[in-house]
Amino acid sequence: MKKLLLFLCIMLSLTSAFAQGSSEKNADETIVLKMGDNVPDRKNGLGLVIETINTEFEQTYPNVTITTESYNDQPWQEKVRIYATANQLPDVFRYWSFSTLLTPLVEAGMIEELDYEVYSQYEFLPGALEGNMIDGKLYGIPTSSDLWVIYYNKSLFEKAGVEIPTSWDDIMESADAFNDMGIIPMVTDGKDGWPLCELFDNMAQRINGDFTYVAKAQEREMKYTDESFVKTADYIQELVKAGVFQENLTTSDYGDARNAFGQERAAMYMMGSWEMGLANDTNFSENFKENLDVMPFPVVEGGKGKATDTLGWYGGNIVISSNSKIKDVANNYVEKIASDFGQKCWDLQAAFPPVKVQPLETDTHVAKQLLSIAANATTMSGTPGLDRLDNVFKEDHQELMRQLCSLIIDSEEFTTKLDASAQRAYDER
Amino acid sequence: MQSQFKDKKVIATLVLPGIIIMLIAIAAPIIISLGLSFVKWTGFGKMKPIGFDNYLRIAKDPIFWKSISNVFILIFVTVFFQNTIAFILAMYLSNIGKKLSNIFRTIYFIPATLSLVVVTKLWVNIFNPSYGLLNKILAQIGLESLQHAWLGNTSTALGSVIWIIIWQGFGWALLFYYSGIVTVPDELREAAKVDGANKFTLYTRIIIPYIMPVIQAIIIIDVTSSLKQMEMIYLSTAGGPGDTTQFLALYLYQRAFKYSEYGYGNAISVIFVILAFTLTILIRKTFAKRLESL
Repeated sequence: MKKLLLFLCIMLSLTSAFAQGSSEKNADETIVLKMGDNVPDRKNGLGLVIETINTEFEQTYPNVTITTESYNDQPWQEKVRIYATANQLPDVFRYWSFSTLLTPLVEAGMIEELDYEVYSQYEFLPGALEGNMIDGKLYGIPTSSDLWVIYYNKSLFEKAGVEIPTSWDDIMESADAFNDMGIIPMVTDGKDGWPLCELFDNMAQRINGDFTYVAKAQEREMKYTDESFVKTADYIQELVKAGVFQENLTTSDYGDARNAFGQERAAMYMMGSWEMGLANDTNFSENFKENLDVMPFPVVEGGKGKATDTLGWYGGNIVISSNSKIKDVANNYVEKIASDFGQKCWDLQAAFPPVKVQPLETDTHVAKQLLSIAANATTMSGTPGLDRLDNVFKEDHQELMRQLCSLIIDSEEFTTKLDASAQRAYDER
Repeated sequence: MQSQFKDKKVIATLVLPGIIIMLIAIAAPIIISLGLSFVKWTGFGKMKPIGFDNYLRIAKDPIFWKSISNVFILIFVTVFFQNTIAFILAMYLSNIGKKLSNIFRTIYFIPATLSLVVVTKLWVNIFNPSYGLLNKILAQIGLESLQHAWLGNTSTALGSVIWIIIWQGFGWALLFYYSGIVTVPDELREAAKVDGANKFTLYTRIIIPYIMPVIQAIIIIDVTSSLKQMEMIYLSTAGGPGDTTQFLALYLYQRAFKYSEYGYGNAISVIFVILAFTLTILIRKTFAKRLESL
């Protein structure tokens, strides 16, 4: 028995020794900064920007080593929830949807407050920091200005003998011409659902001419069963029936959609301005990059919305975990992001930053077009509808969009269920 | 040595670590789950006790019932179709000579050795409506009318995911049946032949009853793996389109980690555990009666 106890004591000491070895501070005072994000490709676009900043930070602070963990959007979102439940959030991480995803973490005391005075010195665009504030306190900094647009491949339009569209009706009419040539007219990420929700918000505005309808429906000043939302849902189903999107829209994920467009199997790609890095993506052919262009979300014939009304918001927030043992280092790192991320993003043409940037002579055509869309915007939507209420509404909205686009439910059932979910979220506030 | 193993203290000392591990790894999570099923909780922050509300919600949740019905469809297909084909094939493989049998068993077992992620991605690409192999083959042989978005269409999605599950699991069923059939002693076969048994009688009266414990094990594995079917669906359709391919394990995961409804997710997991226990006990009892009567 004594031997057994001795053995257990030895094992326990060994275990604790190993456990200490894996903590943030090693014996030689090397500090490990754990960071996580939703950008798995570290050789192109945003991932390359983050890696460049990390390398520079490690050079400035030689005793700091940054370990990164990256997954695609949906798995990262789920990973953060698991880490939050286990109280093991990384020191610094990138998250999004301030009201639905970050607010619960802030309310649970898991996110460290940032000094507004410090971060407001950096050249953030008006409203960019304010979107990260709760009760007058700043909890994160945005890393992108997101515009909802349509990328297109000019050579595939020429191949199919189709004019560049100015309205969704043009797109609907040209669907057969593309499909007959074996080209998918338009792709997007339908499996994750949220791009379909952006489509819904933007399409609703093109029909009713007012981005605030969505906010009003969520504040219960009007209902999602309003005629304009029913019309929007009907119109989206018409697009699906006309063959505008890939056949497996609701089971096709982000990577599938992006690759179909980059590999020139699809003529259009509905996505955010963060995809401007497509113009430099080494994974795709030169022919694709030469023919890449971008257009604003088209109008609907007879609708009240203009092509210059833009669905746009600030996103990709960087936050510090309040559980971090190295908050000073984490703060220095986030400050580095605040000061360098925007211009570096623009230099590499990786994404549309939330700070003032200097246009460059070397800007890609896509970057120039996006700058022009932003500059010409007559109205800007602000946070999309799915991100304004709670997380259950967000998931309900995505699921209902998938069902609408799979033609499982009709526009009336869709709007009724969406309205019920908005009402529940409103009641539970 | 023998006498030491009869000493109750020695037995207790040897068994205790196992029991403690079992309690920590199995009983504790079930008890915690049961406790969490009575609260409303996002996974962090404050919990709100809500009594049996989560269970009442389950009773009225059509997606939950859809996921249960899909589990039973999968159990039915694996138990009756996959097992029948695997048994017939094992029967033939046990009669075609060792060399040929080895080659075919290896071929059939290859899918089971592949990673689930690889298998799923492989079939997702084969089923892709625009560049997938299946639609290309159908076009080549003039069957364009049968081309489909196999995983994206509500009428074919469930069949397609079940096909992927069976494709990967078939090798195991075959291996089990083959191993069972070749262990039947030659004396039994010879004796049956002497008594005038034909091939059909030999299998129905001698071989199948002899390998009944193997069949029981396979069915329990089929039922439990159907219940916990999650990764393949998550990687292929995520339960869609709509809730067409929703399965119980994936649904509870989605409720807990996508919707941040930990309480509801845990209530589903409690039902999950009860269902798994009930089905396993039912199968064991059914087989016990059958084995007793033999």
